[in-house]
Amino acid sequence: MKFKLVYPRWDKLEGQTIFNLPPHGPVVMAAALPENVMVDFTDENVEELIIDDSPDFVGISMMLTTQVKRGWEIATHYRKLGKKVIFGGISTMLHAEETMQYADSVFLGEVEGRLDQVFKDFQNNQLKKVYNYLNNPPEMRLIGPARRDILKKDLYYHKGFRMVDLFHASRGCIYDCYPCAVRYLGGRGFRPRPIDRVVEELSQMDNNRLFIVDNSLALDTQWEKELFKAMIPLKKKWVSHTIEDKNDVLDLAAQAGAWYVYQAVFDTSDYIRNRIKQYHDYGIAVEGTILLGLDNQTEDDIKRLIDFLLEIDLDLAEFTVLAPFPHTKAYSDLLKQNRIFDHDWNHYNAGKVVYHPKHMSAERLAELYQYAWDTFYKDEPQTMKMFNLINTVVSREIADGTYTPRRRDLADLSFGKKVPKVA
Amino acid sequence: METNPDFDHYMDHYYEFLGQWDSPSRCGLKIVHRKDGKTLAIATEIYRQNPGTPVTEWVAPLATRIMQEQQCDPAGFMFIEHTPDLQSKLTFYGETFDLVHFDTVGEKLVNPRWTRLTAQEVDRLMEE
Repeated sequence: MKFKLVYPRWDKLEGQTIFNLPPHGPVVMAAALPENVMVDFTDENVEELIIDDSPDFVGISMMLTTQVKRGWEIATHYRKLGKKVIFGGISTMLHAEETMQYADSVFLGEVEGRLDQVFKDFQNNQLKKVYNYLNNPPEMRLIGPARRDILKKDLYYHKGFRMVDLFHASRGCIYDCYPCAVRYLGGRGFRPRPIDRVVEELSQMDNNRLFIVDNSLALDTQWEKELFKAMIPLKKKWVSHTIEDKNDVLDLAAQAGAWYVYQAVFDTSDYIRNRIKQYHDYGIAVEGTILLGLDNQTEDDIKRLIDFLLEIDLDLAEFTVLAPFPHTKAYSDLLKQNRIFDHDWNHYNAGKVVYHPKHMSAERLAELYQYAWDTFYKDEPQTMKMFNLINTVVSREIADGTYTPRRRDLADLSFGKKVPKVA
Repeated sequence: METNPDFDHYMDHYYEFLGQWDSPSRCGLKIVHRKDGKTLAIATEIYRQNPGTPVTEWVAPLATRIMQEQQCDPAGFMFIEHTPDLQSKLTFYGETFDLVHFDTVGEKLVNPRWTRLTAQEVDRLMEE
């Protein structure tokens, strides 16, 4: 059976460097497909979607809210041709009720151990409108290794440099952070994968550079330490979200190849200053993630925060404005106060203001968002700061013998498209 | 019905319900039978102790169910959403109260709208 799996495109943020990373949801999903299913994957962000084909069954995998409207369009096209369409992925779950209007079936929850039944139902013409496994997560040992063979790998290079591959070592989160929907998506418990299964998957990956996409690695110290110890021999170099602020954990993380971390910078406290320094002391770079537009931020607070970022020697910074995604406390709070004025999901890209901020107008917040990017990168552009980070990892790879040179045959391509050669 | 010494002025017991996508969920609940004959329900979001759907996301079906269990009609039923103070550094986790207004379709409460109240206003509604 031919299963066409589509990852819809979305509009990238204006003025930002475009990086198309190989998607994670589709490769995790593909690993759970029945053996008799031939999967034909299209990532619409890096290739044209061929829509005059005739697959047996169509799957649409959506991670971002900005993908849902395009996903619905694609589904509408195939359903007009008489094809059955099933949706899955994070933003399918966030927008499930709306998505059901465009779907023959919607899959909610995690796929491992579930897809045999879904495909059997499809073949028997008994596809259910909803497969709801939100409250019944799979046994963690069933997860992976992800099917990265479905990706057209050459499309994830920029001028010969390969992008990081995405990987996950755990699911769920014990926290209930204001802008985050993981509580709904992955449950309130932290569910680490067995270390041997993590190592098995990592060992199979031909990319030395990874982004470990877990919401936080800092949720179970013992597991975190065991994970890092097990990763040391693999010599991978990786990016992740927060690592615990214990010296022995950070030491192991550095040995295991921690390259840089995303660290939320939410105030100008000594705690944040020391946190950044602590990472740097272990040779781990830091990309600050700065969320603008929270109710506790005035204009002065935002400007002070940006000055602080320049003081604390961040390696990179990523600014976003609060996007009240469904199933977050941010959404609930703003909904209750009737402060959301824009309900176009294409605008929920964390770069557009879709609600009335508490201490300023929406227009003023949009200006401060631009001011933040411009000010932080005024003296050293983002591309230069990234280049410095790449140099760091290249040096480490040369030192431990894992360096793979840039692909000369892809030097004039960026994500599959021709780019002009620089003299 | 479970009781807990930590329950406060606005919460007498835990209330179990099936939330969105049949998620087993729970909130705090206090039922006040007012002097004017109306029934006031205060549903408290209990965050990490709630394994499923938050009160706000399921407010209309939840209020409908409580109203029916209390054998009230919409005119004799008032519903308040309460979020407790989590003593967090972040201001988003302070104590709030919202009186929720609904339309009715048949026997169901629909189309929720929220009006922010102070604790004093809630206390007055409990006394009336």
